[in-house]
Amino acid sequence: MQKNKKMTNTAKIKIAAVAAGIIALVAIAIWFTKSVSETTMSVDADQTIDVTPEQIERIRAIGEWEFLSVAFEEMVDTTRKGFFSDDHLTRIYYGTLRLGVDMQQVDSGWIQVQGDSIEVTLPAIRLLDKNFIDEARTKSFYESGRWKPADREALYQRARQRMLRRGMTPQYIETAKTNGEAQFRQMMLSMGYEHVSIRFK
Amino acid sequence: MYMRHIIRAFLLLSLLPLAWGCSCKGSGQKPAQAEPEEAIDTTAHVMMRIQQCSRLYTAEYQIHKIVTHDDVVRLKGNFMNHDFNIPLPLGDRKIAIPMDATLKAYIDFSGFSEKNIERQGDKITILLPDPQIVMTSSKINQQDIKTYVGLTRAHFSDKEMSNYEQQGRQAILESAQHMGIIHTAQENAARVLVPMLTEMGYKEQNIVIAFRHDMDIKQLFNSSVERR
Repeated sequence: MQKNKKMTNTAKIKIAAVAAGIIALVAIAIWFTKSVSETTMSVDADQTIDVTPEQIERIRAIGEWEFLSVAFEEMVDTTRKGFFSDDHLTRIYYGTLRLGVDMQQVDSGWIQVQGDSIEVTLPAIRLLDKNFIDEARTKSFYESGRWKPADREALYQRARQRMLRRGMTPQYIETAKTNGEAQFRQMMLSMGYEHVSIRFK
Repeated sequence: MYMRHIIRAFLLLSLLPLAWGCSCKGSGQKPAQAEPEEAIDTTAHVMMRIQQCSRLYTAEYQIHKIVTHDDVVRLKGNFMNHDFNIPLPLGDRKIAIPMDATLKAYIDFSGFSEKNIERQGDKITILLPDPQIVMTSSKINQQDIKTYVGLTRAHFSDKEMSNYEQQGRQAILESAQHMGIIHTAQENAARVLVPMLTEMGYKEQNIVIAFRHDMDIKQLFNSSVERR
């Protein structure tokens, strides 16, 4: 009788231990499922450039008077024929042709004053910047295949030539001259001269 | 079951000669990556904006910058309430882009009128707006671009490189404010305008070139700065 009672107690303890174990396992499973469901994972690559210094290579005192600017947005593309498919590269270049005069090229006695009359002789209108393309602003429109630095340089040179051809026309040079004359005339009138004559070399 | 594998292997083996034949078709013994033909350039699309202006550029700065980018692919996330950020092996890419930029500072004369001139006897004061800075050109040294690309990564695309170049350009423009270009432009303006006024008959000591910025007026006379 006592032996049976002892057995019953042992069985009860065993059942209680198993139940506790099951409860613990369920709790761990719930905690694990919750943790896993909250897990996030992504593969990222940062696209920001590193911080590097800017180096001033040269400082120059200039005296360039700009009278006309012609801003270009030029799309240039190139195609390389392949066996299965062609490769393409299309880029959009930005550049501004600035037309005006270099005040460091004025002759001595370029301003002649007689009473209320003034005669100003300005240097010839020219392109103020030989390099006028803002290449770092260039947009890549389309690319297929691999392209070498020389290909990009060739595109740059083509964009430059086209901008020059379209911007350095006699019409624009004349417009710059007319505007320059008007601007200088206005300035001289503001300074109190009655009769103003503006000429270009 | 075995039969299915045998059929698959047979199909694959039978397709191989077909693929080989296609790759050599029309090029004799040469594979598909034969020498590419000469590049053809097509027509360009162009847009223009024309602007009449009156700007006196007085200072030019040549800036050099090497834009660098370390492109490491990282596995980021959160596991069991713990953040992790692990760089993936063989997933490294690096690029260095050398670039040159030209910054110029100008004084806008488009609104110049009698209001900009003050006379007191033989003395003349020219009151000018503060100089503005503009990037007139930038050039990427394409031949000197250096890249390193890990085994598992693709090469830098044109779009990615353009993006880094644009960021480099922006960094130059932001740092331009601290390069003293405005002050240099103001000093140089006196060097251009004073000789012009002396040609008109004014004595050098009677000429004042002043700059107005809000209510703060800086005066320049013979390249010396004084505050009024």
